Amino acid sequence: MRTVVVAVIMSIVLLGIGFASASAKERVVFLPADDPTVSFRILFNVGSQNDPPGKEGLAALTATLITEGSTQKHSYEEILELLYPMAASIYDQVDKEMTVFIGRTHTDNLDAYYALFKEILLEPAFSEDDFKRVKNDYLNYLQTTLRYSQDEVLGKETLYEFVFAGTPYEHNEEGRVASLNSITLDDVKKFYQDHYTRANLVIGLGGGLDKDFAAKMTKDFESLPAGEPSNVPAPQPEDIHGLHVKIVEKEVQSTAISFGFPIDVTRGSRVFYALAMATSWLGEHRNSFSHLYNVIREARGLNYGDYAYIEHFPRGHRRQFPPPNVARRQQIFQVWIRPVPNETRVFAFRAALREMQKLIENGMTEDDFELTRKFLKGYILHYAPTTMMKLGYAMDDRFYGIEKGHWDTFAKMLDELTRDEVNAALKKHLSFENIKVVFVTTDAAGLKDTLINNEPSPITYQSEKPAEVLEEDKEIEAYPLSVKPENVTVVKVEKMFEG
Amino acid sequence: MRIFLLSLFMLLVAGGTAYAEQPVERFFPYAHENYTLDNGFKSILIPIKGSGLIAYYTVVRTGSRDEWEPGRSGFAHFFEHMMFRGTEKYSSEEYNRLVSEIGADANAYTSDDITCYHMVIPNTKLETAMDLESDRFQNLSYEEGPFRTEAGAVYGEYRKNFASPFSQAYEKMLDTAFDKHTYKHTTMGFEKDIKEMPNMYEYSKSFFQRYYRPENCVLMIVGDFDPAKLKPMIKSYYGGWEPGYVPPQITPEPPQAKERSVDVAYQGRTLPLLWIAYKGDAFDPADKMVASAYLLGDLAFGENSEIYKKLVIREQKVEWIAGDFGFNRDPKLYDVYTRVKDENDLDYVIAEIDKIAETFKTELVSQEELENIKKRTRYGYLMRLDTPDRVASGLSRIVALTGGIEAIDELYGTIASLTPEDIRAAAQRYLKTERRTVLTLKGEKS
Repeated sequence: MRTVVVAVIMSIVLLGIGFASASAKERVVFLPADDPTVSFRILFNVGSQNDPPGKEGLAALTATLITEGSTQKHSYEEILELLYPMAASIYDQVDKEMTVFIGRTHTDNLDAYYALFKEILLEPAFSEDDFKRVKNDYLNYLQTTLRYSQDEVLGKETLYEFVFAGTPYEHNEEGRVASLNSITLDDVKKFYQDHYTRANLVIGLGGGLDKDFAAKMTKDFESLPAGEPSNVPAPQPEDIHGLHVKIVEKEVQSTAISFGFPIDVTRGSRVFYALAMATSWLGEHRNSFSHLYNVIREARGLNYGDYAYIEHFPRGHRRQFPPPNVARRQQIFQVWIRPVPNETRVFAFRAALREMQKLIENGMTEDDFELTRKFLKGYILHYAPTTMMKLGYAMDDRFYGIEKGHWDTFAKMLDELTRDEVNAALKKHLSFENIKVVFVTTDAAGLKDTLINNEPSPITYQSEKPAEVLEEDKEIEAYPLSVKPENVTVVKVEKMFEG
Repeated sequence: MRIFLLSLFMLLVAGGTAYAEQPVERFFPYAHENYTLDNGFKSILIPIKGSGLIAYYTVVRTGSRDEWEPGRSGFAHFFEHMMFRGTEKYSSEEYNRLVSEIGADANAYTSDDITCYHMVIPNTKLETAMDLESDRFQNLSYEEGPFRTEAGAVYGEYRKNFASPFSQAYEKMLDTAFDKHTYKHTTMGFEKDIKEMPNMYEYSKSFFQRYYRPENCVLMIVGDFDPAKLKPMIKSYYGGWEPGYVPPQITPEPPQAKERSVDVAYQGRTLPLLWIAYKGDAFDPADKMVASAYLLGDLAFGENSEIYKKLVIREQKVEWIAGDFGFNRDPKLYDVYTRVKDENDLDYVIAEIDKIAETFKTELVSQEELENIKKRTRYGYLMRLDTPDRVASGLSRIVALTGGIEAIDELYGTIASLTPEDIRAAAQRYLKTERRTVLTLKGEKS
């Protein structure tokens, strides 16, 4: 299975494309493939970290206005009409440091599709009507969807704000109610002008096309202004001392829990893959391989799943595998506990924290380590099975400076890493004591009392449980929590993302 | 006639690509082979070389539709969870360990007409996968303790979903639109039934005995493998599976005589949802009416429709609107849904939907519009076939509905033959007030 990964990386070659300049060549990731479709990923190294203060949400709003707005030649209605028979679309993805425009077409429609794709990106109209509609959608997302109908996403977004407080990573990509309201169409136009430049551009192109097309496309995008790279200093999140708690209070039957801390290990380094192995064992995303899943869901039936992450994984509630092009200089380690009945919220949190402690203090066992190695050797093949995904990862490799490619490196590391290395890495980089945790729950005062007084959290079950589970429960119920009252904040849900 | 029209259609849209070289009556671009054992167990083998991966899908032609006994709603989905609880040969832990060792991406899902168990594996691990999968389908065995624990996980899943206004609306829509048929409940089931699940250990065994039988299950293997080598393996692993499928006793839904409506109060804040569902027909790939309805949903309410342009883009009265006139084993619902920005506009939006329905009932769509949607449907399907997993997942529903994949070619043949008159006839048949249920959901704190 290594060979598959190697072959992919080897095929990312710039086959003598006639580039206008050396800098243009550096901007292209070309991945030809025997494929009846063509994949486009046009990436700008700009994201929500570039939002001016008070204008949070501007990067995302700009991108959506491009993909869901008119161009100088066509109204948005006309664009939808033209895309319709091709069953094609173009959509945007905005993260802290990257904005990417993603599109795919059948080769039959390549010319017609590309003409539109190019026009949408290079000649946006930024009309008042489109602006009003898109901004309204953003506001509705914050004020209704995120606050009231997606508790798990709400918990995660709150955690990111909490962990990255005071840094350019702090606010969620969609911004705040007040900042969105303050954004004008002129702000959008200026943002586009300042940041949609050749200095920030990376063109990703893959599938069933030839090098001439790649050269033509590169030339077309030379029409963007040269610009300067968008320099934002890497975020320096504050160190966390002790257990810090934020409670988002709302009326719910079940409590969503997320916790984590910043981590400065990123893709490409040996220690990253060591931590990735340990994290996979602890909590592989939506996979029964996850140890936390086995402790909290399988053995105890408290919820639907429990997972851990060494990298940001947006919209994990909808996806089996993470999207590429959310690369960051600063990462977050996090644990996601899916909603548990309110009465078991502290128990579930204790159970997860206790497993973290065991992992960090005892390390992975030889058996777990070898099983994880075997599992990942096959499982990493599923992350990028399509040209579109391979292309995205190849572009991320540029960001992280991974010459041999992330997946190839991962496969190699799975052969090389030793258990001692992995255990040393997780001891050094992970923590069960200095973390931030978010609960989306009801009765915040009750939860606060339980936490700061380290009250036990006994549990009862509807069904009989094996003796060893009940025995372990006694330890979990009384697992010591050291929370200072001043480290607990309570926010009413209606205040979240307000200003 | 159909073949002629289809060939014309293919020439119009395919324009000299690799697909144009396929026989004209073939739509699905990959060759396949059916292989059926004496016990009725059917395998569909679709070799696609090159990826090193195999998608291994077991489709059980049972879903929440088959939960016909009172108090047993949600059981098909719950049972899907139980299928991971082990056998005499492989305990749950051993099963999980082996699945992990082969690096499988394995999971399962349940909906109204299907329960589907799927894994994607490196092709060198095919026999391990077949050993594991054939074993649990024939020899599932679990104790009452783990059964009750799993019921807790299912209730957790219900709670996870419950925060969403869509889940609440969906539950209410089905409950209102149906009186007799099992489509009355969602796949998750009624909450009162989910709460009772821990006490249904004995029933669960009967569920397995009746539905998890070779005549009711179809194996679909897609990807990098040699079919000739695979057949003896299938025979050896599945040949001993005893037949014994007992069909469910589903009461047909009586025809709906008049319009129904329901208002849902959502205990949170949300923009109002409006959901209009028309009673549809059972899937039949040869039925022009069903195929026309499938296009009608998108023509009338999709993102290129007049109402979308008016309400979403020009007037900005709704966030989005969509029509989903899908396929079901028995007649279910053809849905139109939209999220309205201002509660006071609900009546206006309903009136606009009525207006569009009337237009489609009385006027003919242009030939160009019809060709555009046919082209869209075709490209939309072909572009989803980019991995073995996506090929298999795109076919699984058709397999559940019909027992095979031949219906894909037939359906797209029927679609290619449709005329503007067919679309109008479908609008006249389905878009009737007396066939529909109108649901509104409003936030209590809006």
